[in-house]
Amino acid sequence: MSLNLLTEEQNEALQEIANIGMGRAGRSIAGVFDEFVELSVPRVREAGLDRLPAAVADLIPDETLTAVRQGFFGRVRGEAIVVFGITGCRDLAGLMGYGSALEDCEEDELLLDVSNVIVSACLGGIAEQLNADVCFSAPSVLASHVPPAGLFDRTSAAPADTGALIVEVNFRLERHSFACSLLMMLPADSMGAIRRALDDFLANF
Amino acid sequence: MERFEPDMTAGQRLIDMVDVGVFAVDRALCVRSWNAFMVAHSGLGRQAAIGRSIFDLFSDLPRGWLEKKFERVFALGAPSFTSWEQRPWLFRIPHNRPITGGVDCMQQDTRFIPLKDEHGEAVLVLVCVFDVTDAALLHRRLAETVSALEAERSEQQTLIARLAEAQEQLIQSEKLAAIGQLAAGVAHEINNPVGFVMSNFGALERYIERAFALIAAYDRQLDQLPPAVQADMAQMKADIDYDFMADDARSLVAESRDGLERVKRIVSDLRDFSRVGETEWQWASLHNCLDSTLNVVMNEIKYKAQVVKDYGDLPQIECMPFQLNQVFLNLLVNAAHAIDGQGAITLRTRLEGDSVVVQFSDTGCGMPPEVVKRIFDPFFTTKPVGKGTGLGLSVTHSIVGRHRGSIAVDSTPGQGTTFTLRLPLRQTSA
Repeated sequence: MSLNLLTEEQNEALQEIANIGMGRAGRSIAGVFDEFVELSVPRVREAGLDRLPAAVADLIPDETLTAVRQGFFGRVRGEAIVVFGITGCRDLAGLMGYGSALEDCEEDELLLDVSNVIVSACLGGIAEQLNADVCFSAPSVLASHVPPAGLFDRTSAAPADTGALIVEVNFRLERHSFACSLLMMLPADSMGAIRRALDDFLANF
Repeated sequence: MERFEPDMTAGQRLIDMVDVGVFAVDRALCVRSWNAFMVAHSGLGRQAAIGRSIFDLFSDLPRGWLEKKFERVFALGAPSFTSWEQRPWLFRIPHNRPITGGVDCMQQDTRFIPLKDEHGEAVLVLVCVFDVTDAALLHRRLAETVSALEAERSEQQTLIARLAEAQEQLIQSEKLAAIGQLAAGVAHEINNPVGFVMSNFGALERYIERAFALIAAYDRQLDQLPPAVQADMAQMKADIDYDFMADDARSLVAESRDGLERVKRIVSDLRDFSRVGETEWQWASLHNCLDSTLNVVMNEIKYKAQVVKDYGDLPQIECMPFQLNQVFLNLLVNAAHAIDGQGAITLRTRLEGDSVVVQFSDTGCGMPPEVVKRIFDPFFTTKPVGKGTGLGLSVTHSIVGRHRGSIAVDSTPGQGTTFTLRLPLRQTSA
């Protein structure tokens, strides 16, 4: 579904910005985890909210997913969602300063911590390219161990025709069995701001 | 609390006034600023706090974990968070509900915000401690209410399920009652014609025997008749195949009698099943009942099984002996039928408290669980069509029920089956 939220030129600019931003993010995360991070080339898509579960199911083949959401605001407002497969990020417990035997609430906290690192590095990277400051709200668990279709159950209050610009990136660590996907979602009413920011970026070339 | 400090900047005063714990730490995690909220709630004055490691100020901090967290904030230059939902508190600080709270210390959300220098390097981390005790308490109370409601709901669902089950049972027992009435009616209707057919048949049997005897007597006098007549008679006998007929008539009669006996047995099973019959309580010895029943069925058993009697010392019990005979008969016949080839049937009797226990164990083929589940159902049978009515164990069950006893079955396919009968010593509650 194409909602034509961005012009082709703006779309390319966002793709480019995301690409550079992820390079920076990859270096920051590698610094934190002390390990090489594999990042996919970010993909920019437009999708209606109703198509999100299907889009997420494409990204991670696992049957049960866990997702963390985190709001970001500044010049552009939106929400980032980090989606984990069935193993979550238990393998990163040691790297993040947790003991080896994780209790349930600790597992949630670990998810929130890891998501926060990924979201702040990636969005920080993009914001830097746009010369904008970005702030973050506290992350929270969106859904825990649910099938892909259930990820957005609690967001059904949003109007179905809410369009979103999705920037998706996949992560993989070299020495740990860990993978997740990051979705940056910009609501339709934030489009004016992102278009202006992209136009400013394009004007600098 | 410390007094107003005149050398504070406007920004510092503002930070002092907010109702949030705010303090800054450097890379060594030593405190560099400490706002009034922290002074008031932690009980540590600025002089006491500033310059000291947070691990000295709060001895129960999770050190390794928190050091990593600060490291990430410095390295990424991005904020980090904790939430009361996962970690009710990080800094042990008393809360504002010492009387009405019921939690041991301030429930808190925290934020770790990097403070950057002109090169964009994070040099300090500002720690903000939000007091969320009230919200957390409310949330927990709500969660408790929700879980209580959910428990109640699941209980209701269990009750609904039980109700449905009870209704199912009711329908089942109504069905059984209807079958019982039907069976009683059918039994009654069949019983009369079978009765007179049997008695007529007895007479008919005698008449046939006498007729054949008469013909035999004639035959002995046959040589006294003229040769032509003798030839005629021989011809006639050959024409009707007299020798075969005489032989076959006797076996037809025997088979028919057997069939009638079977009808009579089925009718009497049906009558028992529908509780028509003798219901007189007597004091009787179970061993006598067992022995007399064994005598009746020995013909069916003796070629297949050796009967082992393991009788205990039993007093007489109050029972309906004729009905119990029926029970023993059913169990013994079933045991014999279960045995393929040669086996053993063990009868074990014991006195246990206020009841007697009678066990029938066979070394037969046993039953799979799905059969065991249904054996007491009326009309359920594993025997070929015409061999069993499917009423034997159902009758057994209802007779045992009338005696306020119980019957249990334990079966292993390929190894055998044990029926355990438990009957009370006396029926009258007085």
